[in-house]
Amino acid sequence: MPENSSLPRFAVLQLSGCAGCEVSLINASEWVDQYQLVYMPLVVSTHAVPEDTEVLLVSGGVRNDEDVYNLRRSVEIVERVVAVGTCAISGGVANLGDRDEVRAMFMAQENRHHLPHLLPKSHPIDAFVDVDLYLPGCPPTPELFMAALTNPENFEASSIVCSECKRQKLKDMRPEHLLGFQQGEVQPEICLINQGYLCVGSSVRGGCRAICTRPGHPCVGCRGPSDAYIEKESQVWFDRVQNVFERLTDIPPKEIQTALHSPQLSLFLFQFTDYADGERPPRPKEKVL
Amino acid sequence: MATLRFPLSRIEGHARVEMEVHDGQVVTAHFQAIEMRGFRYFMQGTPAEQMPVIVPRICGVCSTAHHVASVKALEDIFEVEPPDLAKEIRELLLLGQLIQNQATSLFIFTMPDRVGASSLFHMDESEANPEQQLSLARRSLKVRQVGTNLITLAGGQFIHPIKAVIGGVTSGIQREPAEAMRQEIETLLPMACQLFDEYWDMSLAMGERIGTWGDDQPAYYIASTGRTRPLLNSNLIRVLGPDGAERASFPPSLFRHYLDYEETVYSYAGQTSYQGQVMRANSLARINLALSMGTPLADGYLEKLTHTFGKPAHPILLFDLCRGIELVYAFERALEILSKDLDYEDTEVPYALKDGEGYGLVEAPRGPLIHHYTVKNGLIEDAEFVIPTVHNMLAIERALKVAGERYISPKAINLELEKAVGRVVRAFDPCIACATQ
Ligand code: SF4
Ligand code: SF4
Ligand code: SF4
Repeated sequence: MPENSSLPRFAVLQLSGCAGCEVSLINASEWVDQYQLVYMPLVVSTHAVPEDTEVLLVSGGVRNDEDVYNLRRSVEIVERVVAVGTCAISGGVANLGDRDEVRAMFMAQENRHHLPHLLPKSHPIDAFVDVDLYLPGCPPTPELFMAALTNPENFEASSIVCSECKRQKLKDMRPEHLLGFQQGEVQPEICLINQGYLCVGSSVRGGCRAICTRPGHPCVGCRGPSDAYIEKESQVWFDRVQNVFERLTDIPPKEIQTALHSPQLSLFLFQFTDYADGERPPRPKEKVL
Repeated sequence: MATLRFPLSRIEGHARVEMEVHDGQVVTAHFQAIEMRGFRYFMQGTPAEQMPVIVPRICGVCSTAHHVASVKALEDIFEVEPPDLAKEIRELLLLGQLIQNQATSLFIFTMPDRVGASSLFHMDESEANPEQQLSLARRSLKVRQVGTNLITLAGGQFIHPIKAVIGGVTSGIQREPAEAMRQEIETLLPMACQLFDEYWDMSLAMGERIGTWGDDQPAYYIASTGRTRPLLNSNLIRVLGPDGAERASFPPSLFRHYLDYEETVYSYAGQTSYQGQVMRANSLARINLALSMGTPLADGYLEKLTHTFGKPAHPILLFDLCRGIELVYAFERALEILSKDLDYEDTEVPYALKDGEGYGLVEAPRGPLIHHYTVKNGLIEDAEFVIPTVHNMLAIERALKVAGERYISPKAINLELEKAVGRVVRAFDPCIACATQ
């Protein structure tokens, strides 16, 4: 990795997030031989994105005025911008706080000195700049990172998590109530829906290799809706999942409906549609990996 | 009055240091958290059962600690005790976190300081031999990867784990993957030790070059580790005085009686003290508070450290060496657990939702972490997060002031100061996302 090598140069701009996206990128250490990392405050001591940077990965949402400044300045000098993770795509987990009383608590922090000013909510980065590729996941897996960096066109993934999960959906194992996320012993190889868990993998985009459902935790949809729903209103998605549950279980529809509207799910599932005050069109699915 | 501002990199999150200097005297040294996460605010109203999956998002570096602390806080409220198998798998999770974190801090954050490079990936620019250094980067990532793989095995997801649940874990670990993981750790343990040896030598050389190991005064230490050997999943917080005598030992529910918390106007993070005294958390605190490591190789390193620096040891740069000792310990301890049967039925006990107040404690890589929840009608009414980095704030600022005084005189500012600021802050390995949760 000599400094002036001809390897393509990439940079990582960290806005307001949890750094999980960056940790995942470090886990994908194969880039070490294929790319030159020129800027990423978590691991490199340089203080701005340098000229001649090809790819800029942006993680985290836009939470304060310094984020806005750094984002605008950095995209100017790069060729390709990738929004990485739920936070950069939608503002992320911080949007659970997009309610009046929480906004007020944030704004009450304004009496501090010499600090970046907080915005009333956490914004997606495309509310400020154009994005070439969206890489959803919380965080995206190392494999997804490598695909986004090298050749997003040729990345092979199933359209939904179920196809990567491969747990069997049974016709004759019909729970009558939801178990919640945390209850009960999980049986291997049988679909979690059959076991009474609120798994939404049937309409969530694949590519993560079902890392949650394989060891027995329901998918909470961090990869966002699959291509079939990405450009549609959230209600279409709700109806579809409701349908799957009604087909496979005897759980009262009302119970499913209430559970589907949980904060944990809404956080991830609507990352592509309900954003930026609802004024912009949904992101085109062609731009989502 | 002049203000010096130092941006910071190679730490978790967004922070900077501001020093006010007057006539060659350092008037104040402020460590500023310049981001604000706000989980305490926006968790209100969340269904309590969903906390273990949401709160790891406070921080992708410390996610595992938040995951387990959250589960423990809810178990406290619902009054359930997880079975032994679950406790072992949770310990493995925390060990994975410790390996990943200590390897990151040692090799990615602080090793470049030792040779004057801008990053682990730019070590060939440094004075060190390029061939050797290149392999250093690859070896470091390999050792770090052990932690990631362990988290994935014991936690399901690799950054934001999901396997710990209220009352236990979702599943055990089958013999085959457990054995594969055990072999990986066994193979890489010598590499970890070798890297740590090189790191130790680089640290000695650096100490020689700059003429100090950090000349701040002794402090109090806080950790929830065991008396005789390290514990990551205990239910007691302990405090050591500067002289090495134990001053307090209390459950997380009593933390307010012992620790004083204050907010500041210059940072989005607060700071705590032990009854007004400066205290330190993190690796050095744990090492000072436990008699031994309880595993052979780690104990060897501990002896070497104690031999040179005594116990309790106080110089700041020893935080870094203690991380290396813990890295080796975590490898060895994980081997012990993975040799047991982790694949039997008894994964969890049932629980019933119930309202109330509860506390969950774990020893995170940066120190004791407490989650304190109040649940009403099944929803979170309040969620308080007591963060290890916040316990270190006063210690960081005091050490920065000492460093400032060393390099600033009425006539000039020694350019080494900027590097010293980086070294001091990184020794404490602060986590800003957590500190401003
Ligand atoms: S998308 Fe998830 S992993 Fe990435 S920064 Fe946001 S919370 Fe962290
Ligand atoms: S467990 Fe979830 S992801 Fe797996 S098959 Fe069932 S619905 Fe799909
Ligand atoms: S299984 Fe679901 S929640 Fe887990 S990583 Fe995949 S998309 Fe995200």
